[in-house]
Amino acid sequence: MFKRLKVKLNIFTITSILAGLFIIVPLLNILVRIFERPSDVWIHIRTYLLVEYLQNTVILITFVALLSGLLGFFAAFTVTRFEFKGRKTLAWMLILPLAVPSYIMGYVYADMFSFIGIVPRTLRDVGIDIRFNVMTMRSAIIIFVLTLYPYVYMLTRSALNKQNASYIESARLLGASKMKVLWRVVLPLARPALVAGILLVVLETLNDYGLVAFFNIQVFSFAIFNAWFSFGDVVSAIRLSAVLMVIVFVVVFLERAVRGKRRYHLSSKTRPVKRTPLRGYQNIYPFILWGVLVFAFFIPVLYLIYLAQFSRVGFFDLEMIYLIINSLSIALFATALIVIIAVMLANFARGRSSSFKKSWLKITNLGYAIPGAVLAIAVNIFFINTDQILYPIYRLFNPETGRLVLSLSLAMLVFAYVLRFMAIGYNSIEASYDKIGESFTEAAYALRASKLKTLLMVDVPLIKTGLISAAIIVFIDVVKELPLTLILRPADYNTMASKVYEYASDEMLTEASIPALILIFISSLMVFLLTHMKAKGGFTFVRKN
Amino acid sequence: MKAKSILVMLSATIVWFTLSACQLGVNDANQDPNQQSITIFSERHYDTDRVLYDLFEAETGIQVNLVRDGADPLLSRLENEGEDTIADVLLVADAGSLERAKNRDLLLAIESPFLNEHVPQNYRDIDGYWYGVSARARVLVYHPERVDVNALSTYEALIEPAWEGRVVTRSSTNIYNQSLMASFIEVMGDQGARDFASGLVANFAKSPSGNDRAQALSVLSGEADVAIMNTYYIGVMLNSGDATQIEAAASLKLFFPNQGTTGTHVNASAAGVVKHSSNPELATQFIEFLLSETAQRHFTTNNFEYPVNPNVEWDSLLLSWGTFVPQDINLAVLGENNNRAKEIMDQVGWR
Repeated sequence: MFKRLKVKLNIFTITSILAGLFIIVPLLNILVRIFERPSDVWIHIRTYLLVEYLQNTVILITFVALLSGLLGFFAAFTVTRFEFKGRKTLAWMLILPLAVPSYIMGYVYADMFSFIGIVPRTLRDVGIDIRFNVMTMRSAIIIFVLTLYPYVYMLTRSALNKQNASYIESARLLGASKMKVLWRVVLPLARPALVAGILLVVLETLNDYGLVAFFNIQVFSFAIFNAWFSFGDVVSAIRLSAVLMVIVFVVVFLERAVRGKRRYHLSSKTRPVKRTPLRGYQNIYPFILWGVLVFAFFIPVLYLIYLAQFSRVGFFDLEMIYLIINSLSIALFATALIVIIAVMLANFARGRSSSFKKSWLKITNLGYAIPGAVLAIAVNIFFINTDQILYPIYRLFNPETGRLVLSLSLAMLVFAYVLRFMAIGYNSIEASYDKIGESFTEAAYALRASKLKTLLMVDVPLIKTGLISAAIIVFIDVVKELPLTLILRPADYNTMASKVYEYASDEMLTEASIPALILIFISSLMVFLLTHMKAKGGFTFVRKN
Repeated sequence: MKAKSILVMLSATIVWFTLSACQLGVNDANQDPNQQSITIFSERHYDTDRVLYDLFEAETGIQVNLVRDGADPLLSRLENEGEDTIADVLLVADAGSLERAKNRDLLLAIESPFLNEHVPQNYRDIDGYWYGVSARARVLVYHPERVDVNALSTYEALIEPAWEGRVVTRSSTNIYNQSLMASFIEVMGDQGARDFASGLVANFAKSPSGNDRAQALSVLSGEADVAIMNTYYIGVMLNSGDATQIEAAASLKLFFPNQGTTGTHVNASAAGVVKHSSNPELATQFIEFLLSETAQRHFTTNNFEYPVNPNVEWDSLLLSWGTFVPQDINLAVLGENNNRAKEIMDQVGWR
């Protein structure tokens, strides 16, 4: 029996086991506290607020999922199935909205449409008096869809690209209408990618704190912050987190259950579907997508540029330069760590797979499914406990040291980033490994190269593109990250994201415009790099289900 | 080629991290050991405050390190850090938060004849745990074309049917409204405060969203006729440098409610010495500086707040709004009643 459990100890296994432990321990550490006696605060929350939190959360994620799925699929279908002028440009630019954090888009539109904002003012000048109320659930849904649909688009597009033309041709030959082909062949084949994309969108939505706090939409992440900070009750915050985690797992489980035992395989040798020119009403498709881009990217950016001229803080003030250094260095550091650990995990995943291996890898990737507010609690408590245990060791080095060392340092924030975004790095790298197979690596082992040497000299060069695209996506995510940064940053430490939040929540959007612009600029640059790499087979960012 | 490029990358990384390490170390390391310094945990994130700290540095030679965050996160941090904290002074925009800090055993009582003399009794803790620094009144802001000033009287009058669909204020998660309710629990009792809250919710023009400035804009746009908001924001809007904001603020009027009755609700930014401060004397000196006439004048002229020190004259803008009678309560009740206030607001559906 032990033989089956025995896993060969090497650098990959050790890293993987540690990575898993580092996420299980903090999470269990907080989850056990659910069994404590409920406090008065919890009874209060349960009686008066919980139902509303649930309703709002369910409404928000349902509509965001539906609409982003529709938009993402439509965009992917248009650029993969039709030929038109500017298709290639549109194809990469459709990913750009990923560079605009949803909270920044929220600030921009709320400002533009406020009574003295540019839109109602201009309309009044031409004699139209309309009042807008942007800070509603409906606008929040639209903003989430506009900023997050690129996840669905990216995954679905690469799935549609790989679809085999012969399936569609066969269906057409057998007399199926175009609509029927779409519903019965194209959509089912793209389903895993579509669902994976939507799942990413839902998880990102549940994670958001900036936008829902600004619009006062009382969903779970907002509630967790409120219980923890305003009521000062960590245990109630943990209870809310537990409810939220249940929601997340129900969503994932429902999808699996609906899919059941059906599997959608694509044969490896595919003949890509030929793109057809747009005909008749189809000519409107690219316009719709350009329209989406205008609202999801160009208007926010142009408006921020317009605001920047009034800002009292300059582009090149020392403070701004520090912010850029802070953001870039922590993002680079976290990205490097994630990529390195993800490579180890992916190596651990190769070869014979056991059920232990599979479930352990799932655990190491759990962080992405856990909303930032929850992860922040877990990491914070974990670090304070660790500090208490390590205190005697700290004293050996510096007898006057305080008890808290790690939990007052940047290490805590980096640790949280790594836990949260590991899944993104891992899935991308694992997909690249799948593509190259194992023969090269095995050949290297057979030639008695060490594991590490094989990794550096054989594997890494082979999966270079995958590594880079993993790094870029992780980097964008870390740079934009808000809830973890707000809670876990050390004293007086600001990133561009936290500074934008700070200014904007103090009604100083003009001052927020410059860090926001720099943030969007850096992320856009990353999107450009990502889409213009000489990648074989397009995106390697594939989430396997 | 490979080795070379790796070397270049490596050295670039090292340079980068050295650079960032220097920046991170600015606040604690590499200091002259004789240089005295204090660390302020502040919720007030106004650039005008930094000017004041620079003045303190120039006057005393004591360096001021500033950590800015929301009041609740700062309190949680003080609690987590315990005796290892680097903080010396806690400065928040709402006295209620400091009373909560006192109850969570995060503050140190100080003896200061100067502070006792220059801070009126209402604006400080009886035991010397915290002292008010600058005040704001939570008033009614109305549109003079749509509201006759004679129709305004008290906060409580806003729950009458005549005001249905005409009142706005921000969310109940905001500390200013929590403190408003906490003061009502004190002056009108639990039931009175509850009646006010539920009546107000019934008269809301819209579900609360946005901050105080957004409430003013809501009145300006005709979405609502009266907003409950702080005086400070009108001052900020009038001095924003943005022509539309100035025009907006100028066309609205302020009304100090409850003048014949319980008085207008006033809240204060307040400061206290942190319990585990490594240098309580310097921290006390800093708070005394905040109450000095120089600093108090700075608060009123640059940040449009009411000085707490009675010897200091108000800014001309504040004088133009007129004088008023404040609530006769000790600000400590704002903290004591905070949880009760939140409960009532949640129960009556004030979101």
